[in-house]
Amino acid sequence: MKHQQYETWILLDTELDQDQHRDLQVHLKQCSQCQSLHLATHQIAHLFKNSPIPEPNPGFSTRWMTRMEKVENRKNRLILGTTISVISIATLLLLSSVGIQIRAGIAYFPQLMLEMITLVAKWIIFLNQLRDIVSPLFRVGMKLISPVWLYTLGFSLSGITGAWMLSLIKSRTIQRELHS
Amino acid sequence: MCNTEQQWIAEAKTGNKNAFAKLVEKYQKPVYSVCYRMLGTPTAAEDAAQEAFIRAYQAIDRYDTSRSFATWVLSIASNYSIDQLKKKKVTILSIDNEKHSWLAPPDPGLSPEKAALEKEKLGQIQSLLTDLNEVDRAAVVLQYWHDYSYEEIADTLDLSSSAVKSRLFRARRLMAEKWQEMQLPSVPAVHSTAKRITHETSTI
Ligand SMILES: [Zn+2]
Repeated sequence: MKHQQYETWILLDTELDQDQHRDLQVHLKQCSQCQSLHLATHQIAHLFKNSPIPEPNPGFSTRWMTRMEKVENRKNRLILGTTISVISIATLLLLSSVGIQIRAGIAYFPQLMLEMITLVAKWIIFLNQLRDIVSPLFRVGMKLISPVWLYTLGFSLSGITGAWMLSLIKSRTIQRELHS
Repeated sequence: MCNTEQQWIAEAKTGNKNAFAKLVEKYQKPVYSVCYRMLGTPTAAEDAAQEAFIRAYQAIDRYDTSRSFATWVLSIASNYSIDQLKKKKVTILSIDNEKHSWLAPPDPGLSPEKAALEKEKLGQIQSLLTDLNEVDRAAVVLQYWHDYSYEEIADTLDLSSSAVKSRLFRARRLMAEKWQEMQLPSVPAVHSTAKRITHETSTI
């Protein structure tokens, strides 16, 4: 039999039948290379099996809990930040469109554009200031209130804003109808 | 898998972190051990083991309860360690370079001779593993320290059984050659292919 076959048996730790085992033993006596390979694989297995098992420092699961909470808080902050940004942009667009509707009758185009830009700029300043006030509150809130409640609050506020906008438009329309 | 463990898993699936923490407590040693053998330092092993459990918790919904939890979490840990090795090319540090070593007598009750012997053993293990590529190393770790069969290694590392066999064949040959060099440091190692050719011609 070829040398390679014995090498495969040794390296893959193949389960051998009696004849194969005898063949291998005969070959090992004749071949110093297979003999040293056989010895080396056995010594390595022995070394591995008898080595001390590495263990983590005590308190591993407590450290995991702390780390997991940090990961979750980071994720929640990201979701909350995205939600607030989307709501803010939506409100801004809504207010701008209402602004345009209200002033459409009285202003000519360049003035309208100028006023729109001023309005947007004012809103950006306003939201920035609002963020400075609200974000520390949120940081505290995040620790105390579940994100579900924060979403509910966010959506309720935007719903109220939307309803207020609609009623404003409606009252303007009624006013115009009365004037005409 | 015991009933209590199934209950922890069921609770963890509903988002109960405390229930999952119990699973962390139970499986911290095998997971840490895989990460340590793969990455070679306690700091890297701690970080990888923690991350593996975080990933497991985040993916607990996808965990198939008919599969062993140990195999599943070890698969996450092995694959994460492989990624870390590929990404950062973390090399297994030699014992002399290890700053945070738990390798300093693992058991304070050990005599200085025994402690030195243990340290030497660990040094030898790490040098044998250093030369293996990431996936081969994971296969070796799972086979020797966790008694995984070829099929279980294939399942864990997402390979075919024949691929696992050929990887282990290559890895064990490489380790045997390195071991022979380590045993005879003064004798220059003859290239294995050359040795094989010589041998084959002599036995024909
Ligand atoms: Zn031979």
